[in-house]
Amino acid sequence: MRTPRKSLRAVLALGALGAAITLTACGGGDTVGGASDNKAEVAEPGPPVDGEFNISTWVGYIDKGDGNTISKFEEEYPGTNVNYTEDVNDNSDFFGKVQPLLDEGESGGRSMFVVTDWMAKQMNDLGYLQEIDYADVPNVDANLKDSLRSPSFDPDRKFSIPWQSGMTGLLVNERLAPDVNSVNDLFDPKYKGKVTVLTEMRDTVPLLLKADGIDPEDATKQDWLDEIDRLQGAVDSGQLRRFTGNDYVQDLTNENVVAAIGWSGDIALIANDSVDWRMPTTGCIIWSDNMVIPVGAPNTAAALAWADFAYDPEIQAPISDYVRYVSPVEGIEKVNPALAKDPLVNPSDEFTADCSTQPNPPGSAEDVQEVTEAFQAVITQ
Amino acid sequence: MTTRRRLIPYWLLAPGAIWLALFFVVPMYFMGELALRSGTFTEGFESAFQISNFSDALSGHTNQVVRSFVYAGTATLIALLIAYPLAYAIALRAGRWRLLLLFAVIAPFFTTYLIRTIAWKTILADDSPVVSVLQALQLVPEDGRVLATGGAVIAGLTYNFLPFMILPIYASLERMDTGLIEAGKDLYASSTQTFLRVTLPITAPGIVAGVLLTFIPAVGDYVNAEILGGTGTAMIGNVIQSLYLEQRNYPEAAALSFLMMLAILIVVLIYLRVAGSGAFMGDEDERRA
Amino acid sequence: MEAATVSSRAGSKPAPARAWAWLRRNALLIFAGLAVLYMLVPIFVIAVFSFDTGNAQGELDFAWDGFTLEYWQNAFANKAVTESMVTSLELAALATVVSTAIGTLMAMALVRHEFFGRRATNLLIILPLATPEIVIGAALLSMFISYKVSLGFTSLFIAHVMFSISFVVVVVRSRLIGFDRSIEEAAADLGSTPLTTFRTVTLPLLAPGIVGAALLAFALSLDDFVISNFNSGTTVTFPLFIFGASLRGIPVQVNVLATMLFVLTALTIVLVLWQQRKAKEMASVRPEQEGQPAQV
Repeated sequence: MRTPRKSLRAVLALGALGAAITLTACGGGDTVGGASDNKAEVAEPGPPVDGEFNISTWVGYIDKGDGNTISKFEEEYPGTNVNYTEDVNDNSDFFGKVQPLLDEGESGGRSMFVVTDWMAKQMNDLGYLQEIDYADVPNVDANLKDSLRSPSFDPDRKFSIPWQSGMTGLLVNERLAPDVNSVNDLFDPKYKGKVTVLTEMRDTVPLLLKADGIDPEDATKQDWLDEIDRLQGAVDSGQLRRFTGNDYVQDLTNENVVAAIGWSGDIALIANDSVDWRMPTTGCIIWSDNMVIPVGAPNTAAALAWADFAYDPEIQAPISDYVRYVSPVEGIEKVNPALAKDPLVNPSDEFTADCSTQPNPPGSAEDVQEVTEAFQAVITQ
Repeated sequence: MTTRRRLIPYWLLAPGAIWLALFFVVPMYFMGELALRSGTFTEGFESAFQISNFSDALSGHTNQVVRSFVYAGTATLIALLIAYPLAYAIALRAGRWRLLLLFAVIAPFFTTYLIRTIAWKTILADDSPVVSVLQALQLVPEDGRVLATGGAVIAGLTYNFLPFMILPIYASLERMDTGLIEAGKDLYASSTQTFLRVTLPITAPGIVAGVLLTFIPAVGDYVNAEILGGTGTAMIGNVIQSLYLEQRNYPEAAALSFLMMLAILIVVLIYLRVAGSGAFMGDEDERRA
Repeated sequence: MEAATVSSRAGSKPAPARAWAWLRRNALLIFAGLAVLYMLVPIFVIAVFSFDTGNAQGELDFAWDGFTLEYWQNAFANKAVTESMVTSLELAALATVVSTAIGTLMAMALVRHEFFGRRATNLLIILPLATPEIVIGAALLSMFISYKVSLGFTSLFIAHVMFSISFVVVVVRSRLIGFDRSIEEAAADLGSTPLTTFRTVTLPLLAPGIVGAALLAFALSLDDFVISNFNSGTTVTFPLFIFGASLRGIPVQVNVLATMLFVLTALTIVLVLWQQRKAKEMASVRPEQEGQPAQV
């Protein structure tokens, strides 16, 4: 430090060393990211089904304990070893980690991911997914609910099979915030610093749009940006406490938060009797988390067998009973009649009449990027 | 024989130097190269010499940059104020309790930092006894809260990096010759004077090391702001995380990372110059001279 | 002796003054006690909640539901928790051994030898310390991908050794600086080969520093979330598992294992410290302050 020139030289020497090593070790790689050639393969069905089967999915999305679904699957297909990894915490976060691999045509050893609709579409658009032949998954073909058969992002369900669906609405503490019925009520100064919204832009912004009477399907980019401005205002005034993922569970349990935008199935996790999931007066957002098979996936036979297995109502019923999300499988109420009565597991058409499917921001990739950046700027300030 | 002798240090250095070169310098080089690319994620990032990434990265995020340094600086200062007396007590006054206290200071380190941070969330919940006491003492407004504020983030940073402050200070105090204090007392009579003129200078290298080991990871941290923070408490780490994983603007993320490293290096160098100690940089030659 | 005069004088004073005097005399220790308490509060919370019944799924719900020993009896029953813990321990042990060995050699070179390029080496060691974890994590990820290193245990091992080396060097070096060479020279004079001298003299005297460095490396590796999050592939370490689980519900066993780990570490540290004290008594024959760094 007493001789800064020497230090500088040292830095330069290190840089040169790094460059030299890099140049000798690494040949190509001129671009990073970008869409690869879109040549969708069809997932190979096997047989036989055995060996290692790696699946990356969300936490708490399958039943646990004795005789759980995973052990039943391993029993059904002896020789198969299911590595059920709960490493998807956030669509973007997960994508950020696997994208570089997918770009090289590899899946990091995973045979299957479970991701939300828009992420499944984004992956498919980039050529990162394999197609699914319905002949290989007869149970899915037979038991997938009609309402989920042709979503706009994948009209023929070519590359995605729903694992569970859910509704985004309001989680409300009935005792402390009895009059929160609409998303707009979250902006009531009475609840300053006691409300949260989701970091998932495609849930939060469309709910705000609906609360303002705008159908998310018809919303323009400007509408999205206006709602993001509204969030900015609520941040500036101290109205919004946090932007959260599932971690609102703790805040709602401890009553740090009295009302939040949240996902229907999470009501099972909140240990506070006063807290309930409410359908917003202007309707909810409906989404699915889908099983997809990435490019370069090993053991696609096991992946297809797994999807088919989960679509057997006998197998699905205990999963559904545990996770409390909306099941995409027809016929579970015959196995477990109690499930039919639960509006969060088996919502009637009437119940969800005002709901919209989870939309993407409108426009080109650049427009989506602009809206995403604006939203992220509000979150990370 | 002499050539062999001269080569010894290089043999000793080789494994570590190669490891750091391959797995630190090379990745940094990749990052630097990425920081100069242009384009978008969907179209691919082309090699270019786009310096503007750096100004873009900085212009949008001055608030977070300033906040990170303020939070980390405050946390470091509080940690120093807690750590010095604690280390002093353990090293010189604890007697047979010394081992027990030292253990109590090190052991939390081994219970994953994430669970500890989550535990703080329970301790600081809005209606928790701790917050009620703080409200009664008027340290927190009557209807105020601790969680989801900048204060909670600073508290989390202080807590999580405190061992990094205590250990170097403890080490320097422990190695100090207590005879010097006795001599100081004879010379200066007052114990305050002795402390200021003898103890503090002798333990300065420990303080310097502790401050740096606390400050640097604290500036770059994002977990505390993520778990304990609220709206308007994001630090640079959170922005980099968002740029990388949510917005997939790799060049700007890399550029901001570099600027952050640079800023930290500058602060560290200025600090070391002012503190006038080569201890952290390992300038043994200073001693030999 | 000062304490004695104060207390004898205090005897003649009224009670509040006596209390005040006592407070003043023990202020430092009281403060230390409070500070230690502060450091242990979260551990206490974690330990208490390891006896909580949790919710129907055996997860913590951040509210006290009742006392049970169930999760201590079935501490390893939750496969995901146990596996992630085992992964973390294996990783930490391996990374500690390698980084401690490499770092100790580097520290010896830096303290014991004059050579061309020591400033560059010093910088190479300081830079990783001055680099935020998130930057290291992201940079490593881009490199692993470019070289097509598949992400998993190996990439984690590489990363953990990398960020531990600098800490090891700093700790071992500080021990080496205050180190008396004359014992080694005496051994050499007595005809001992350099290797034997190293094994029988240098290493035992350095042991406390090395053990301290190893403990630090182990703790850093066990604790790391940010860098691992970028480079883990499908491998799930304990912190990664906790982060994922914290979003929905942390299995009570996480707290059980965390508490166990705390107790085990406690025992290990106490053992190591005792050992250190013995070593110091052994080493105290040497003149203590000779090798200490010159002061500013």
